Amino acid sequence: MQKPTAPKRWLTMKTYAPLYLLTLPGLLYLLINNYMPMFGLVIAFKDVNFSKGILGSDWVGFKNFEYLFKSSDAILITRNTLLYNAVFIVLNLIVAVGVAILLNEIRNKLLARFYQSVVLLPYLISMVIVSYLGYALLSMDTGFLNKTILPALGMEEIAWYNEPKYWPYILTLVHTWKGAGFLCVVYLAAIIGIDQEYYEAATLDGASKWQQIRSITLPLITPVIIMMTLLAIGRIFYSDFGLFYQVPMDSGSLFNVTNVIDTYVYRGLMQLGDIGMSSAAGMYQSLVGFVLVLLSNYVVRKINRENALF
Amino acid sequence: MNRNIESRAWQWAGHSILLVYAAACVLPFLLLLTSSVTDESTIIKNGYSFFPEKFSLEAYRYLWNESTDILRAYGITVFVTVVGTTLSLAITSMLAYPISRRDLPYRNPLAFYVFFTMLFNGGLVPTYFVFTQVFDMKNSLAALLIPALLMNGFNVLLMRTFFMTTIPPAVLESAKMDGAGEIRIFYSIVLPLSTPIMATIGLFQAIAYWNDWFNGLIYITDPKLFSLQNILNRIMSDIQFLSTNAAMSARASESMMTLPSASFRMAIVVVGVIPILLAYPFFQKYFVKGITIGAVKG
Amino acid sequence: MKATKMGFGLLLVMVLIALSACGSGSNGSAAPGGESSAAATGSGETEAPYELNVAFPIFGAVPSGISEVEKAISDLAKEKINVTVKLTPISIGAWTQQSNLMLTSGEKLDLLYVSGTAFTGLVSKGQLLELDSLLNDHGQGIREAFDPQFLKATQVDGKTYAVPSKREMAVDYGLSILKRYTDKYGIDPNSIRTLEDLDGLFETIKDGEPNLPAVLVPQSAGISFVDSFRWFDPLGDSIGVLPDFNGGLTVTNLYETPEYAEFVKKIREWYQAGYVMKDSATNKDNGNELIKAGKGVARLSNLKPGYERQASIEYGEEATVISLTPAYATTSTVAGVNWGIPHNAKNPEKSMQFLNLMYTDRDIVNLFDWGIEGRDYVKKSDPIIGYPEGVDATNVAYNLNLGWMFGNQMLSYIMEGEDPELWQKMEEYNANSVKSPALGFSFDAAPVKTEYAAVTNVINQYKLPIETGSVDPDKMLPEFIAKLKSSGIDKIIAEKQKQLDEWKKNN
Repeated sequence: MQKPTAPKRWLTMKTYAPLYLLTLPGLLYLLINNYMPMFGLVIAFKDVNFSKGILGSDWVGFKNFEYLFKSSDAILITRNTLLYNAVFIVLNLIVAVGVAILLNEIRNKLLARFYQSVVLLPYLISMVIVSYLGYALLSMDTGFLNKTILPALGMEEIAWYNEPKYWPYILTLVHTWKGAGFLCVVYLAAIIGIDQEYYEAATLDGASKWQQIRSITLPLITPVIIMMTLLAIGRIFYSDFGLFYQVPMDSGSLFNVTNVIDTYVYRGLMQLGDIGMSSAAGMYQSLVGFVLVLLSNYVVRKINRENALF
Repeated sequence: MNRNIESRAWQWAGHSILLVYAAACVLPFLLLLTSSVTDESTIIKNGYSFFPEKFSLEAYRYLWNESTDILRAYGITVFVTVVGTTLSLAITSMLAYPISRRDLPYRNPLAFYVFFTMLFNGGLVPTYFVFTQVFDMKNSLAALLIPALLMNGFNVLLMRTFFMTTIPPAVLESAKMDGAGEIRIFYSIVLPLSTPIMATIGLFQAIAYWNDWFNGLIYITDPKLFSLQNILNRIMSDIQFLSTNAAMSARASESMMTLPSASFRMAIVVVGVIPILLAYPFFQKYFVKGITIGAVKG
Repeated sequence: MKATKMGFGLLLVMVLIALSACGSGSNGSAAPGGESSAAATGSGETEAPYELNVAFPIFGAVPSGISEVEKAISDLAKEKINVTVKLTPISIGAWTQQSNLMLTSGEKLDLLYVSGTAFTGLVSKGQLLELDSLLNDHGQGIREAFDPQFLKATQVDGKTYAVPSKREMAVDYGLSILKRYTDKYGIDPNSIRTLEDLDGLFETIKDGEPNLPAVLVPQSAGISFVDSFRWFDPLGDSIGVLPDFNGGLTVTNLYETPEYAEFVKKIREWYQAGYVMKDSATNKDNGNELIKAGKGVARLSNLKPGYERQASIEYGEEATVISLTPAYATTSTVAGVNWGIPHNAKNPEKSMQFLNLMYTDRDIVNLFDWGIEGRDYVKKSDPIIGYPEGVDATNVAYNLNLGWMFGNQMLSYIMEGEDPELWQKMEEYNANSVKSPALGFSFDAAPVKTEYAAVTNVINQYKLPIETGSVDPDKMLPEFIAKLKSSGIDKIIAEKQKQLDEWKKNN
């Protein structure tokens, strides 16, 4: 599209004015709710003293960021955060899309509705409760596994909350159980939006179900998949705090596999209550996610401009 | 015949996988239910079980007594959820549609403006400052509706993607040729075509508003404005705080009656979740294989 | 879907109107007219009374009868010092969050509860006013209520920033055990003096009760047995401690001391012998719940005068309490519960005057502690009170029961059933306690905050497993110590020593 000349541009703007008008409330809201508070980002670089006020406090450069990098745990928490999130993104995608496709195929309307509702149930339960349920399973004294299942299989009792090696699997399982339902709803809505005519034409041509899924469904929901994945990449340095803190019952013996950036920051700052340091952690996580998204978005743009976020 | 066997196989596979998945989702919830009516000491002694040794409605009784105005709280929650969800859908779609139009100039910068807010956050204190000092909203209904929940970048971008993939430009073209204005196109063509995504986002927003206790926690101290989750959460975090703070609880136990904490936590969840479950059918109506171009053509 | 734009638009407009209407009614009675000048002493009847916003945490729901109590306090205060009082109770679970927000956003706040753990943080962020001159002018009653050594506990750099509440100021540690077990095995509580004596006690009970899962349970969630049996002065956070109360002022790494190694070894022995509850490291329940559910029969905890009665109520049956250490007074025990004046208080003189009343005026103290006479309690024989006809602990309209929080608890009435000599005993307890040489010192972690965050994480990782006997200390303790060192604990200890030496020079 060539740059229109001045009168043409005016005409263009005039044509699109109603559309811009529509966007106003939303943009205004974001301004108030998100952009105005951003002045607080400077807190990450200050040593806040309220008698001087936030803006009047001293600059300390990057000192608030040090604790994230200097300790021996720094590499560990970064590794944990990244690895878990990578697995989560891929696994949840596969499960959610898979279940959504299946849901779409079910012909029994009543059962389909039942499944649809039930799948979201775990999403509604808070992680704290999930940790109690986990405890019901894994407790040493009274847990279901130790008291019932393991003896039935003829195996020894396991001190679950003391053994790190099981937890990557446990945490992944819990995360998918809880989160896939939500994603599934999104993908299901996408699949429903696909025009039936495509399928009818394909069936007439003699394509099998499997072929139809591969060549119609998947490609047509790819924009949604890409968008969700890009968004997930943006949050790749964040973790579900409840998952990594509550579910392992904050057990020290498991820290090597359950400590992620968010839990590390929380534990480290509980006594200090240093607002600058926690703000620094948030900025660190945001920046990394931001750079990664920019990169991935760029790559997606190269492949298919339409699918990119911006 | 091949086709029939294949489709039968799909139904079988589908049902079996989904049944297992559904069981995995429902069973823990049933456990929650039974635990909420289990006697407190039995829980501590035996852990949670589907078949409790001793029943007790103590948790619900406590809940009923403790919450000075649980009915009022329900009312507040329902109001906030309905109003909030409606407003949210309005604002979100109004922002998402224009930027989904490939012909809109500056759509990408606008999308970026939206997206940026998803990554960078000023933090709780500045947000609190904006909503209480700049916009005097403490202890008001607005504080339950507006901060954080009214609209978020995720929903906007999701909607945008849907508009882009399900609204064929041809339809818009023909409407414009018929002389319809942009706004009219928006609400008489685009919206009806988007019932699945509106239902989806509507569901998410309803859940978000219904479950929110955070806004209540920081902006409301007047008990008359406590929402349901706010009350439940306050009780729950009181319990949790006391469990982990021995010095305090040694003193505080003089001031607290016996809190059935283990079963109580379960009861809190049950009370909070049931209404959402009841609301599901309402949203499911719209999860219909959408109105297609075929219907709109001609 | 004819939910037209018209419909949306209308809704939007409605809400915007509601917004502007609601918004103005928020900060209650903002009383700009009450801001008096510095000449606030003495009778100010000609001015409008200033309203004080007093914020404090509560445990449980807001009592239904609190508004009458607020009014009664307010009336009394108006008469005496020309202020009205607004009470802002906040659920304890939300306390840190909400009080922090109120402080940081500059909301109207005049008097604030300050917990011991939050104290130094608030001071270093400039959120509390310096109180010395205010105390001299308007707070004489407070000064008189305390042994001056205790008042030092809330000072930083020689300046006072908060005032402790007057209650038990020291702590001794020991065992509380269900009485029927000591009776059953004929154990004389006086024969148990030290930790070692407990070996025999536990063995006897464990042997005699094969169905009992354990004897000893943790005091509460997240608490280890070291926390319930402190032979050292933690100096605020147990990172660098005074290893004993013999007068020495050398800050030492607790985890490297021989006493620590001995203690965790003993707990480990107990764990392996089955005396200690197996899930102690991940326990999320309160100790009395555990005992009531039969998971154990005893716990180690911090004691005070009147504890036996309290424990019996908590366990639902009679308890025997055996003290195993002398009573120690440290900065943490004295400055556990305090009151401060926030930096955003508009009339600090009035704040201090009211605070003074909380330490000197019996009527105000008892309004806070017990509620309205006649409705919530009746006087029996000074200082004993009881519940009125038809009222008991579960249905009384004002049931805060936070006597230890509001000013001078010694002025409070005593509920019948409690020891009528409780306050005398408490004064003696406080006076006779062994005072740590570091009483009054508070550590400011800001200069070493990077190491502090790292060390806190390490402690969180190892503390509970080691201190509950769940892991083998021979293996884990050296690992723990090594990791602490590599995270910079020595730097923190050096800094603490430096600050302690500085403080000692001026005290």
